[in-house]
Amino acid sequence: METFIQLVVDGLSTGSIYAALALAIVLVNQATGLINFAQGGLAVLSAYIAYAFVQAGLPLLAAVLLAIVLSFCLGALVERFLMRRFERGDPDTAVVVTIGLLTLVTGIVAVLWGYNNLQFPSLFPLSSVHVLGAVVSVRSLATTVTIVAIMALLQLLFLRTKLGLALRAVADNPASSALSGLPVGRLLMVGWGLAAALGAVAGALVGPQLTLTPGMLDGALVYALAAVILGGLDSPIGAVAAAWGIGVLENLVAVYVPLIGHDLKIAVPFALIFVILLLRPQGLFGRKVVVRV
Amino acid sequence: MNVRKGTRGLLGAVAMASVLALSLTGCRGGAQSSGGGTAASPGITDTSITLGITTPLSGATAGPGTCTVAGAKAYFGAKNAEGGIKFGDGKTRKVDIKTYDDAYDPQKSLSNFQQMVSDNVFAEGIGLGTPTNRAFREAAISQKVPQVLVMTGDPIFSDQKQSPWQLGLVPAYQNEGGAFGKLLASSGGTHKVAILSQNDDYGKGYVSGFKDAIKGASNISVVGEQTYEATDTSVDAQITQLAATGADVFFNAMSITPLTIATLQKAQQIGWKPSWFLPSNTSSPTAILAPGGASAYPGIYSVAFSKAPQSPEFAKDQDVVKFLSDLKQYGNYQGMPAFPHCMWSYIAGATLDQAFQKMTDPTRDSFMKALRSIKGFNAPLMLQGTTVDTTMDGQPAISSVLVQKYNGKGYATAQKFG
Repeated sequence: METFIQLVVDGLSTGSIYAALALAIVLVNQATGLINFAQGGLAVLSAYIAYAFVQAGLPLLAAVLLAIVLSFCLGALVERFLMRRFERGDPDTAVVVTIGLLTLVTGIVAVLWGYNNLQFPSLFPLSSVHVLGAVVSVRSLATTVTIVAIMALLQLLFLRTKLGLALRAVADNPASSALSGLPVGRLLMVGWGLAAALGAVAGALVGPQLTLTPGMLDGALVYALAAVILGGLDSPIGAVAAAWGIGVLENLVAVYVPLIGHDLKIAVPFALIFVILLLRPQGLFGRKVVVRV
Repeated sequence: MNVRKGTRGLLGAVAMASVLALSLTGCRGGAQSSGGGTAASPGITDTSITLGITTPLSGATAGPGTCTVAGAKAYFGAKNAEGGIKFGDGKTRKVDIKTYDDAYDPQKSLSNFQQMVSDNVFAEGIGLGTPTNRAFREAAISQKVPQVLVMTGDPIFSDQKQSPWQLGLVPAYQNEGGAFGKLLASSGGTHKVAILSQNDDYGKGYVSGFKDAIKGASNISVVGEQTYEATDTSVDAQITQLAATGADVFFNAMSITPLTIATLQKAQQIGWKPSWFLPSNTSSPTAILAPGGASAYPGIYSVAFSKAPQSPEFAKDQDVVKFLSDLKQYGNYQGMPAFPHCMWSYIAGATLDQAFQKMTDPTRDSFMKALRSIKGFNAPLMLQGTTVDTTMDGQPAISSVLVQKYNGKGYATAQKFG
């Protein structure tokens, strides 16, 4: 029983990492209608920027906050000067551009900081607490709490604020939004900026655990994309729930289904996607789009 | 007509590709040595010899990969500054090193090798990686280009029948696993062992070496075995499972730095504190043990054949002092090496130096003969009690390892387990 609870707890904490990226992907999708494959790469870059500030002697919290602000600007700039040219075009082209951006950012990070694993200090202590016979590190707990708080904020942003409404309107129909007087370009920049800022939070949360390397979030990105598809592209709550589900299920299947084991557990989220999308094409928490004819 | 145009384009592409392929294969006869007498092989003149290194300088393995180049450049840079190396044919030559990045991608290492051949490299070597070195092993044999002192624990490179132009540098994975198994079996105490290994030849080599060594030792039992993929980002589940076995020894055959740190942290968090065994390439005191909080465990064991510059006992060691200054000056590597590969490639440089001094003709044949005749050579940076011995078929240049125990800063040789 103890092992079971430990596996669930560990699954939730790895799931939280996927969730952080998944939230950023949902955010960009809500603002621009695109799936941003470069989300992981940008988060890594933000983590390295925070690391550079720490090296320069800033306290950790200040370094992370500064990196979040800078990432917001960086995200907005990437949207304005790179993605803007592709947003109105073929969505497939835009997706390929984001994949290109991912490799480019990874390369830039490698040139600036090299490939050695760098130690990123943790915002939270490594001590642990006992919950129901399982051991939870304060770090995972704090990571999870942070993710939940961000999720709630995003949900509020989209559903309860004018900005959120405007962001969704622009993604849904840029032409009508412009005609209704919304500053479309600025809103798109805000969407990307927020996503990049969120990525910076994710990077700072996982940095200590994975140690900084240019490709540290490549694996997590695959899971985050799975979570987004599972949970529904337009639902922050859905993305987080799906990310947790994937983390926990993977662990349990690996240990309790000998046939799958640790070597095949990566297939679990994708088998899940297949089954769930057959039953609910819009994802678990997604809204069905109904078009009146 | 569209169809015709398409076909023409295709034909053109095929023709181009054929020309390219031909130029890569057939048109280099002139560069080959005639093998008779002392007609010099490519890549060697009366004043210089050119070595090629293909190794990961970008990508996930770039940390250790960069070290393979830095150590070699440090050794030969210092030698060149002294005027060069006096070869067995009486001529003094400087050593040029050409480096090629393969990003740990076998496709790339193969094309790097082809590039080296057209760049007139005398010999290839010192590069890191099993799949990448395997990718051009056969090409090197057919072109008769030495591929030596490669950093892989794959035994195929040291089998003279299968690999006449190759020689491995570092102990095979089996040697390392076996050394630890032997120490454990002779400890006199009863021990339960949990094993986590990478699901490939690397992990399998370690585990088979370990199991062979504990065969017949009734005091040692393996109580849990798990594997993981090199691409995994977390092995928390495996650690939880293995902790439940109550093992007092944990054999962690893992090659991924961040995962090794994470396992060290995870096990102590869930209150499992066994003695650990870690492979030589993932047991760095500064890069892994310190961030992993390894002092919490009763013992962390690894194997080594080279001195650890981080260790206080070697702080004033002559070899170490010279190595660190060469590394900085000629290897373009600042600070303490984060990976042992920096020391290994320096040792490889010293071993090549021995071979150069023994080769009587400026040919690849003569070089291979000289390289395979080194025995009892305690190269700079090698631990007391380990030597280079290239004369044993089936064994890499270095097959003797000492089990080491972590002392909070670096490693000291462990005479006994416990």
